[in-house]
Amino acid sequence: MAETLLWVLPLVPTVTALLMLTTRDRRILSAIDVGSSAVLFALTLVLAREVATGGPQALGVLRVDDLGLVFLLLLVVLTLAVSIYTVGWLRQAVEVGNMKAESLRSYFALVHAFVATMVVTVLADNLGVLWIAMEGTTITSAVLIGYHGHQHGLEAAWKYIIVTTIGISFGLFGTVLVYAAATDVMGGAGAMSWSAIMKVAPTLDPGIIRIGFIFVMVGYGTKAGLAPMHLWLPDAHSQAPTPVSTLLSGILIKCALLAIIRFQTIAAAACGPAFPAEVLLVFGLTSVVVATPFILVQQNIKRLLGYHSIEHVGIVALGLGFGGSVGTYGALLHVVNHGITKALAFFAAGTAIARYGSRDMHVIRGLFAVAPIGATLLMLAALSLAGMAPFSIFMSELMVLRAGIGHGHWVAIAIFLAMVVVIFAGLLHHVGAMVFGEPTAAAGREAEAWSPLLGMLLLAAIMVLLGLTIPASFDGILQRATEVVVG
Amino acid sequence: MTGERPLTLVLLEMTLLVLLGPLVTGTIQKLKALLQCRQGAGILQPYHDIIKLLRKGTVQADTTSGFFRSIPVVVLAATVAAGALVPVVRAGPPAFPLGDALMLLGLLALARFLTAVGAFDAGGAFGGMGASREMTIAPLVEPVLMMVVFSTAVAAGTTELGALAAHRGASWIFAWRAADFLGFAAMLVLLPAETGRIPVDNPDTHLELTMLHEGMLLEHSGPGLGCMMLASHTRQIVTLGLVSALFFPVGLADGAGVTGLLLGAGAFAAKILVLATWLALVESSYAKLRFFRVPQYLGIGFVCALTALALRIL
Amino acid sequence: MTPETVQTIIDDLGALLLFTMILIIAARQISNAIHAVAAQSLLIAIAGAVLATATGNADLWVIAGVTLTIKAIVLPWVLHWVVRRLNVRREIEPVIAISATLALAVVVVVMSFHLSASLGTVRQAITGNALPVGIALTLLGVLVMATRKTALTQMVGLFASENGIFFTAMAVTQGMPFIIEIGVILDVILAALVMTIMVLRVRSTVDADIADLDRLRG
Repeated sequence: MAETLLWVLPLVPTVTALLMLTTRDRRILSAIDVGSSAVLFALTLVLAREVATGGPQALGVLRVDDLGLVFLLLLVVLTLAVSIYTVGWLRQAVEVGNMKAESLRSYFALVHAFVATMVVTVLADNLGVLWIAMEGTTITSAVLIGYHGHQHGLEAAWKYIIVTTIGISFGLFGTVLVYAAATDVMGGAGAMSWSAIMKVAPTLDPGIIRIGFIFVMVGYGTKAGLAPMHLWLPDAHSQAPTPVSTLLSGILIKCALLAIIRFQTIAAAACGPAFPAEVLLVFGLTSVVVATPFILVQQNIKRLLGYHSIEHVGIVALGLGFGGSVGTYGALLHVVNHGITKALAFFAAGTAIARYGSRDMHVIRGLFAVAPIGATLLMLAALSLAGMAPFSIFMSELMVLRAGIGHGHWVAIAIFLAMVVVIFAGLLHHVGAMVFGEPTAAAGREAEAWSPLLGMLLLAAIMVLLGLTIPASFDGILQRATEVVVG
Repeated sequence: MTGERPLTLVLLEMTLLVLLGPLVTGTIQKLKALLQCRQGAGILQPYHDIIKLLRKGTVQADTTSGFFRSIPVVVLAATVAAGALVPVVRAGPPAFPLGDALMLLGLLALARFLTAVGAFDAGGAFGGMGASREMTIAPLVEPVLMMVVFSTAVAAGTTELGALAAHRGASWIFAWRAADFLGFAAMLVLLPAETGRIPVDNPDTHLELTMLHEGMLLEHSGPGLGCMMLASHTRQIVTLGLVSALFFPVGLADGAGVTGLLLGAGAFAAKILVLATWLALVESSYAKLRFFRVPQYLGIGFVCALTALALRIL
Repeated sequence: MTPETVQTIIDDLGALLLFTMILIIAARQISNAIHAVAAQSLLIAIAGAVLATATGNADLWVIAGVTLTIKAIVLPWVLHWVVRRLNVRREIEPVIAISATLALAVVVVVMSFHLSASLGTVRQAITGNALPVGIALTLLGVLVMATRKTALTQMVGLFASENGIFFTAMAVTQGMPFIIEIGVILDVILAALVMTIMVLRVRSTVDADIADLDRLRG
């Protein structure tokens, strides 16, 4: 039963995408949107219970284990939140004219196609299918990034599609090398399957795997937004419509990280865990260091959040690089925490932008006076992103730090801490200026729409919950996922 | 004196080469004319030109030195000596000691250098400009030629042309390795540069814009000019012979039998004809490149040759 | 066909592929680059057919056929159509001089050979020089994408890079599983279509080449 569920999961958003093309009414589209996301969420919960009781489930090229389950849960929660948020956001966007009413159905269809490709990425056992789905996400999201149709959006979309396609070509090359190494040992049958490769991983040729892993790291790392391949990220995440930005920052870059983790486990088994850990450390530290100065000088709020994503992806890579159970647990927890928090931040920023009609942080001022709930949520999100207790990101960053200290990476820890402090100060300065003070003339005075608020409150609740305690079932999933990675 | 080759054979091959040179040029001119839908001059026209020049008197500028008079002879001698090294009808040991492909390229380079010196000697603007342009092209062309020779020589273990040809053997096209494709491509890119044809240089005019080779010949006259023209015809056929020896040495005789020699001569003529047709086609299809674009064009040849060498060694 | 013959043919095709790659890098006009990449795809299709006869793997025939129709005929035709329709400026603008790019290309080729020398065991008996050529093609395709300012040339670089990966896969493992190769080709087609649409979109709104836009900074 769980096996068929594996195939139903990608089908749900695919069918939804096709359904979206049949109608033009905005309300019906939003209803289908929310309904489909809810169904997806429910099915994932069922699948999670199956995995908890029965272990990993597989059927054909799709397979779900606890590691994939972590990412899948993040994906469906975010999809649901985005669907709820879009109801109100879209109404306002159509009124203002940012989104054209005639093309709404293609927008929704593309979003669900995007979600479908991401589901396949998370569930893929076959490394080739993983690649194809990843390229599928690139194509669908590129169209979505340029959706507003103006010049900046198209420029961002072009840069995105070129850079990530280059990166993904490297990723394909690395996949081919790993496949070649596996064929050497296993023959042709099933040499693309991750689970099959893991069984024979210690016997693979370390030289080939080393080179393959580096190619994969550069390739999928481009998609994940690791520096120095990150140049597309601030443009793409800032120019896209807000719900799309949320999906990009919240879950897409994490899917790329999942791909890296899968290859990391192969590499750790074949070459010893030290090699992939070092590579991850280098990229992670570079990302954190590179993102920091740009965060300080930003004026565009969505670009700011984009650079933040780069930093947090770097932290995840650091956690994986520090290794051990604590580091990996912390990294996986950080994936979830950052996804939720970043989504909340983008939602809050999106409503603020809609209210003020501008992305410039100098224009958005005095938010608290005109939209108190929204302003509070924005502040909460910013505090959480900066790493303050009792929010979720504090927990996961602390775990990453503990892992680093435990393994003795003093230099990395020192640099990391310095950067985090700087970012804390910078972020608080920016958001504080936005939230407090007198509202500027551009502030719209209308009441806050309920559906975006609902979406945001949902996420905020999860964020606070994970900061205070981790529910036992979720903890179990994370622990088993850590075991998959660490071995 | 001539190593292991009999003197008569060496002289025979040299004479054949020099005599055939103008015929090749005439053939290319005729082919170009036919492709351009006109009659054109006869195939033997270059012979008439040279004979006409030999009968004329010499006019020499006041500004030239005494060395100037000897330049045409020395250039012709160097080119003909290079011709002696090309296996025309027979593969086998070289005509004189140390006479391998590098010596051939060195002799051709010497001829080029002396031509340029003569052009500078006269002190005129055209000569100076033509010589400086030619010398700009030379460092791009000659190393590439050497790399192509090396890439072929690495496989055979020797740079002697006769031995290279024998090593490749009669099954030439099947003996081509990956590196040979690239080496041949590099040679095809270089041929117009070595022979002074479009797209590198225009051999039909003396206009300032198109002069590389012709510019250097302006100050010569009479028999001197005749020698220089014969030298350029010989240079052309020597380069074509080098390409055929390196890449498709079909039909080279082994012994000294008469039928073998005749067959070798016929095969040589056929190969030269094919390459001449190629040159005529290229000349009729493209325009001459601006001088500043020529290094990029030759850069293609450079990369091909370097890759060929890399494919051989690595 | 003996393995030695197959290896020789694959080697020769590899050299010709490198030659077309050099032509793409040295091209000064977009149409020359498009012709070169079409020739390259044709050579890949031939390589696939050769391997198919040698190993008896029927899937490779299909791959070769699909590569021939899609990447050697349809996609170059689409690119040519865009060039004609948009009246794009025909010259290719390089970010660094073409001679510098050619020099970099040589370095990349030498590096690829060194890299593949360290992957000793993967060089199967049947493929010889194919791995270094495949690596070189992939990296050179990326080089073209990174050093050209024209959108269409970047797409040509993308096709060349995919050709390189295909060649590596075909030569090193006698092809990846069939469904993967089809999926990869489909992805390339879709990506090309999306890129073409974007180029046309920008052309119609702003009279500039999409790869030239650089307002987003900081």
